[in-house]
Amino acid sequence: MINSNEIIDDIANKEYEFGFSTDIEMDIAPPGLNEDIIRFISAKKNEPEWLLEWRLKGFAAFKKMEFPKWQHFEMPTLDLQALSYYAAPRKKKQLNSLDEVDPELLATFEKLGIPLNEQKALTGVAVDAVFDSVSVATTFKGKLKEMGVIFCSFGEAVQEHPDLVKKYLGSVVPHTDNIFAALNAAVFSDGSFVYIPKGVRCPMELSTYFRINAQNTGQFERTLIIADDNSYVSYLEGCTAPMRDENQLHAAVVELVALEQSEIKYSTVQNWYPGDKDGKGGIYNFVTKRGICKGTGSKISWTQVETGSAITWKYPSVILQGDYSEGEFYSVAVVRNKQIADTGTKIHHIGKGTKSRIISKGISAGHGDNSYRGLVAVGPRAENARNFTQCDSLLIGNQCGSHTFPYIESRNKTAMIEHEATTSKIGEDQIFYLNQRGIDSEKAVALIVNGYVKEVLNQLPMEFAVEAQKLLSITLEGSVG
Amino acid sequence: MTSDMTLPLYQTLTADETALSAQVSLAGDNLQDIRRTALERFKAIGLPTLKTEEWRFTNIQRYLKEFSYEFLHSAVQVSADTVAPATIAGLDCYRIVLVNGHLETALSELPAGKGITIGALSAHTTAPGFTTWFNEQPHLASAVLAQLNTALFADGLYIELAANTVLEKPVHIVHVYTSNTPAFVQPRHLWVLNRCAAATIIETTVHPNSQAVTFANSVLETVVMENAELWHYNVQQGAENFREVHTTAAQQYKDSRYHHYNFTLPNTPFTRNNLSVALKGSHTETNLKGIYLANKHQHVDNHTFMDHIMPDCYSNELYKGVLLDSSNAVFTGKILVHQEAQKTNAFQQNNNLLLGDKADINSQPQLEIYADDVKCSHGFTAGQFSEESMFYLRSRGIGEDAAKALMVNAFSHDITNDVSIPELQQHLQDQIAGIMNN
Repeated sequence: MINSNEIIDDIANKEYEFGFSTDIEMDIAPPGLNEDIIRFISAKKNEPEWLLEWRLKGFAAFKKMEFPKWQHFEMPTLDLQALSYYAAPRKKKQLNSLDEVDPELLATFEKLGIPLNEQKALTGVAVDAVFDSVSVATTFKGKLKEMGVIFCSFGEAVQEHPDLVKKYLGSVVPHTDNIFAALNAAVFSDGSFVYIPKGVRCPMELSTYFRINAQNTGQFERTLIIADDNSYVSYLEGCTAPMRDENQLHAAVVELVALEQSEIKYSTVQNWYPGDKDGKGGIYNFVTKRGICKGTGSKISWTQVETGSAITWKYPSVILQGDYSEGEFYSVAVVRNKQIADTGTKIHHIGKGTKSRIISKGISAGHGDNSYRGLVAVGPRAENARNFTQCDSLLIGNQCGSHTFPYIESRNKTAMIEHEATTSKIGEDQIFYLNQRGIDSEKAVALIVNGYVKEVLNQLPMEFAVEAQKLLSITLEGSVG
Repeated sequence: MTSDMTLPLYQTLTADETALSAQVSLAGDNLQDIRRTALERFKAIGLPTLKTEEWRFTNIQRYLKEFSYEFLHSAVQVSADTVAPATIAGLDCYRIVLVNGHLETALSELPAGKGITIGALSAHTTAPGFTTWFNEQPHLASAVLAQLNTALFADGLYIELAANTVLEKPVHIVHVYTSNTPAFVQPRHLWVLNRCAAATIIETTVHPNSQAVTFANSVLETVVMENAELWHYNVQQGAENFREVHTTAAQQYKDSRYHHYNFTLPNTPFTRNNLSVALKGSHTETNLKGIYLANKHQHVDNHTFMDHIMPDCYSNELYKGVLLDSSNAVFTGKILVHQEAQKTNAFQQNNNLLLGDKADINSQPQLEIYADDVKCSHGFTAGQFSEESMFYLRSRGIGEDAAKALMVNAFSHDITNDVSIPELQQHLQDQIAGIMNN
């Protein structure tokens, strides 16, 4: 293409569109990581003794671990002692309605395109807004309560439903899982807790907007979703972060538990600050996400659209323990400038008749480096397990990289496993075809990219799909050739 | 086997530095510097463990510890009868016999003529082809077992074809592995095809019945220069008394063609094939095809690496596995496309039939791509015969085993059918049918 170089240059020079920061008084712990800080966090949050002990066990495990070396990028130096492990907006009086929420905070959400009040009426989405570490507004609580659905901040769940938390916390991602999970176990600040009782189909999409705001506060959310027998829930997570020069670490943990015949659908749109065109700044998104299909016929589905962060490093996984359970992973990962994504999924087929489907679409532009890394493991008991995996990569510009590292392990002869991966650029013939029909190159590329990721975006709930589409077009706007 | 048993080979490799060093001196040739450097590299990298990424699924230490192997430097005498089973019916070829890597001239017919140099590697260490190309393939430096071979190798086959030389008949190399005591042998070969040369080389193995187990750690370097073409068939005839790490390191230059076919047949408990191709010129063509047919507790590990350094190259890789009994297979195929290697076309596929109840497969097809104008893909499947096909055959009065044999034949047809020599093609199909019918 004639102007492909200009177009590629554009992408690199593109500034982050959601860069702004909000000034709210913070209650911040001194930087540093030690047992005292953990006790401080636990005391601040009024936690029971067992939880403090669990945190301390996590910290003990963390101290014994080292940072991994197998990833396909250079590990940034993380000074965990320089981080502050607790930040909360200063507590005001008990909130009864949205009017009482800090207007500045509401304005922030406005900019992100989620006016709480409007949304409440128009879309039927209950939003549990996590602003830095503590939930400040929870809507639709009443309606959910009627059905017995518990949707609250993690801190609240610890106070009000300690039995459930105690039973499932760390059951999918133990505190010894990996170094970031151990760190999270030790210092997790807050997050969301969802419990769907037996036989309940959650009437609305549950959504949380995480927003990293305070400088130098690592975000250590912990999300726990439990779907009891015959229940269904769709959960949305979306993020944008303000522009910062200093790198911020985000080491969240998400645990999903699906019991008999239940279904959990977890969708993510991630658009954190990716750093500037030289790779300076940006969020390190090192998240451990894992779900377990415990019950027969249960299903867990992960959908993610990853456009932000300097480094995205996560493998939302599914353990298919129950017979005839099902796992799905749909992903779009876009990297440009000097962004890095090393993402994929792990599916463990343990029960018989288990099924999994993996669709991963990577787009690399600028100096971005995009890796799909995944595991499909079929155990000896997994009679007639079935897996289908497709990983496609699209390369835009000759400075980027795209890699595929799948691991496939089958221990059962009745299992059927299929994997395919392709890497290519947008064909000049495709662009030419569209040009001929009066569509300019830029629009043609947008059209092709949209078609390319459609299979994944189709999996998102409607409101999210619109946002994701917008995000993709903004990300690649004036860029692709 | 308990860990406190004394195991000389394993100890020599891991702990006893002087003994290993003495082994190097035993070779007593003009390559001491190269050998010492390789030994240092071997020691620096160390024997692979299950934590070594490249050896995640293959515990080589287990096989090295299995017996108290001896290093074998001198040749063993074999008779013509020993070599007879290796004959490929009806094939008109030059037959060359190597016993534990040593050329057995009495049993060999060496092609002669202008531009053809074939003989023992040890006799050609000053040949220009040797001094230019020996130990030069870029991937060897990080291959730990190849470094060990460089340090310790005794002998092997040297082939050099001068520019424009074409071998009219295929060369059939018969590797005989035999020893009276458990032996660790290090054959080393170097084949150089200069500009516009062409050859077809078939390798097969013979394992005379003997109590002692032979562990071969062989390295073959091939160089295919501008516009040259090499057809290379490696048939690994299995045997209970054999273990193998086989490293093939190829380099290709502009407009060259390299066709590598690898057949791993049953019974050898442990086979590891490292195959790497460095594309140092543009407009090359590379075909890597393989069949592995494993039984019992056989462990077959195929590790391939296509290194696309230069633009406009084409590579096509297809490995198919049939796993019987409790066998397990590992396939790792890496395609690396460098930033300069625009217009690369690279394909890779790995298909597996799991027929044994305890058979398993670990596969890692990898793409690492730094150029945008490329077409690369890989595919993987694991499964069984479709029930419909089975039913179709059964309903026509074909017994279950016969139907299976027929289907395996069809499954491997993609590769056997590509074999350019009809006699060899027939030979391979017979072998596969024979295994399936038993």
